Amino acid sequence: MSHTTENRQHTVGGTGAGGYVPGVRDVVVLELKQRLRSRGWYIMLAIWFVLTGLVTWLTWASWNASQTAQGEFPAYVQPSQSGPGSMIFEVVLAFVLLFALLVAPALSANAVNGDRAGGTLAIVQVTLLQPGQILWGKFFAAWAAALAFLVASTPFLVIGVALGGMTPGHVLVALLMLALEVGVVCAIGVGISALAGRPLFSIVVTYLAVAGLAVGTLIAFGLGTGLTQGTIMANQAQYRAYEPLVNGPAEPEYTCSGPLQEQSAMRTERVAWLLAMNPYVVVADAIPYPDRTGQQGFTSVGAIENISQGARYAMAGPEGTYPCANGEVKPRYLAQSTPLWPLGLGLQLMLAALLMWLGWRSLRTPAHRLARGTRIA
Amino acid sequence: MAMISELPEAADGPEPDDGITARAVSRSFGAVHAVEHMDFHAPAGKVTALIGPNGAGKTTLLLMLASLLAPDEGSISVGGLDPRRHRAEVRSRLGWMPDTLGVWESLTAREILTQMARFYRLPAQGIAQRVSEMLERVRLDDLADQPARVLSRGQQQRLSLARALIHDPSVLLLDEPASGLDPGSRVELRIMLRQLAAEGKAVVVSSHVLSELDEIADAAVFVNKGRTVRHQTTEEAAAAGRRYAVTASDAASLAAKLTELGVAFRHEDGRRPSVSLMLASDGDAERLLRDLVLAGVGVNSFAPASGALEETYMRLEGERQ
Repeated sequence: MSHTTENRQHTVGGTGAGGYVPGVRDVVVLELKQRLRSRGWYIMLAIWFVLTGLVTWLTWASWNASQTAQGEFPAYVQPSQSGPGSMIFEVVLAFVLLFALLVAPALSANAVNGDRAGGTLAIVQVTLLQPGQILWGKFFAAWAAALAFLVASTPFLVIGVALGGMTPGHVLVALLMLALEVGVVCAIGVGISALAGRPLFSIVVTYLAVAGLAVGTLIAFGLGTGLTQGTIMANQAQYRAYEPLVNGPAEPEYTCSGPLQEQSAMRTERVAWLLAMNPYVVVADAIPYPDRTGQQGFTSVGAIENISQGARYAMAGPEGTYPCANGEVKPRYLAQSTPLWPLGLGLQLMLAALLMWLGWRSLRTPAHRLARGTRIA
Repeated sequence: MAMISELPEAADGPEPDDGITARAVSRSFGAVHAVEHMDFHAPAGKVTALIGPNGAGKTTLLLMLASLLAPDEGSISVGGLDPRRHRAEVRSRLGWMPDTLGVWESLTAREILTQMARFYRLPAQGIAQRVSEMLERVRLDDLADQPARVLSRGQQQRLSLARALIHDPSVLLLDEPASGLDPGSRVELRIMLRQLAAEGKAVVVSSHVLSELDEIADAAVFVNKGRTVRHQTTEEAAAAGRRYAVTASDAASLAAKLTELGVAFRHEDGRRPSVSLMLASDGDAERLLRDLVLAGVGVNSFAPASGALEETYMRLEGERQ
């Protein structure tokens, strides 16, 4: 009996001071131990590595082939290019982001209700752990498991640097943004898994959420643009005569004259936030590229730059892009210095935070409300 | 029947602070009233059985006692503390073994217990020793470093018990601990639960395997349709009378003698023809057996047909219909 009492004092003494972070770490350890012991995870990682390698090699091979083909037509003016590096980088980046968006829900969206189904969630809930510690632990474990996939694809992004045209800074920024995007998807997945009763349902819903971000935002932006019919005050643009072979400053191409008149225009800046939430836009917009305002004529620009400029064009709206809006000449090439990605990432984080908060509410014990049809244990 | 106290009277007056107490707790899930104004008390140092048919609200009550589910009404006290206000203190006093096993299959038994000890924030330097002690106590020390998925159901059940005991709780809630266990493991579980009660813990066992509970439980709380139906000790249950089964080589002479003695009996449709009858006490049984033997009836067997608690349970079932 005395032994029992003594032990109890130890236990109670340990409860007050125990920090929040060690509890989270304990949950992460429990989760990662289980993940690291499942063979499926390693198989997926190996497939991922091989696939990314294959895509890298194909990109490089196709670039080589096109170079050879172009070499046979010397009349064709070769646009200045620095090598296959930037192309490989862009293709691999797009591919890695696509597959990260596909893998992250699978790694996160059954984190909570999978345990609920297996009867192990209540075991943890009944301990001294707080619901937030359980949820954060699940999230960090899912994120860490997903980050392993990014680490596996790093060599191929580095190849982009090695083949020229890219700086290590590009790779670092790209990896950082990929990691953040994967984290957002993991948080969405963990939050939904705490809310939904069945793992299958929450995985499907998370995939739909990811599809909503990747494709739905584009559709919503496209359809939303139609609803943004507005007007803008602009005057007449006088275009210069076409001068095909003149080398000189290409801009401005036109001059503005005449009285300001109301003209109809799409106020795309009202729906550009939808576009900003797209993971591809967030990643592309965050990666630095050179300012091309001073450049002339035709330049070959990469897909990343096109996506970023397109999104910034939408964000600028007619005020910044309509010819002669407010009687001002607008540059053809937007040197939009205001980045769009903080807005997009902020909106994504708000969505993820909302789902995590709702998930946290559903993990509180003693539980007051239960999801329909769920047993707590 | 007078010996069986109805709970409302028994629950009157101040409850002792030890053990675990639920007062008039209710909980509904939508339109389903799983538990309605249920009273429950399990004192320290005793094994209290929670008995009722499937769907009677046993698991819901246990979940509320385990502080996982909040009662809509009523209050729960663990060692005099309210789980809502003293969450950490109550949790460190509660050990809960769910009816679903819920084992992390890829972890070893030792790792599972170590994780649980960490979740209960036991002092880090004592964890390894505590885990070894618990593994030994549930006889899993040989299998300690095997992944839990290779353990048999009985072994997983023992691991689940060790998991509930890792932080040395003063209240132990066991939901159907004997389901799926072979007879040997059941005897083992019974011995262990008696030991835990002897150490001063309040042990709550929910079950519908009643014959075992006679041997384990000091008292029983009968629940049905979300309500506490009856609260009695095992002695009270035994005193309330018990059904005996009697077989004889000549069934006709047995029936004739019983009729002559004026004992009400009924024929049972067992594998062997037998009769069963109610006897109020052990003394009655003694006298009847002597009378039968002296009358020359060839008695083959004369034994209680059911456990004392089972008798109460069946009677409650009968009253319900």
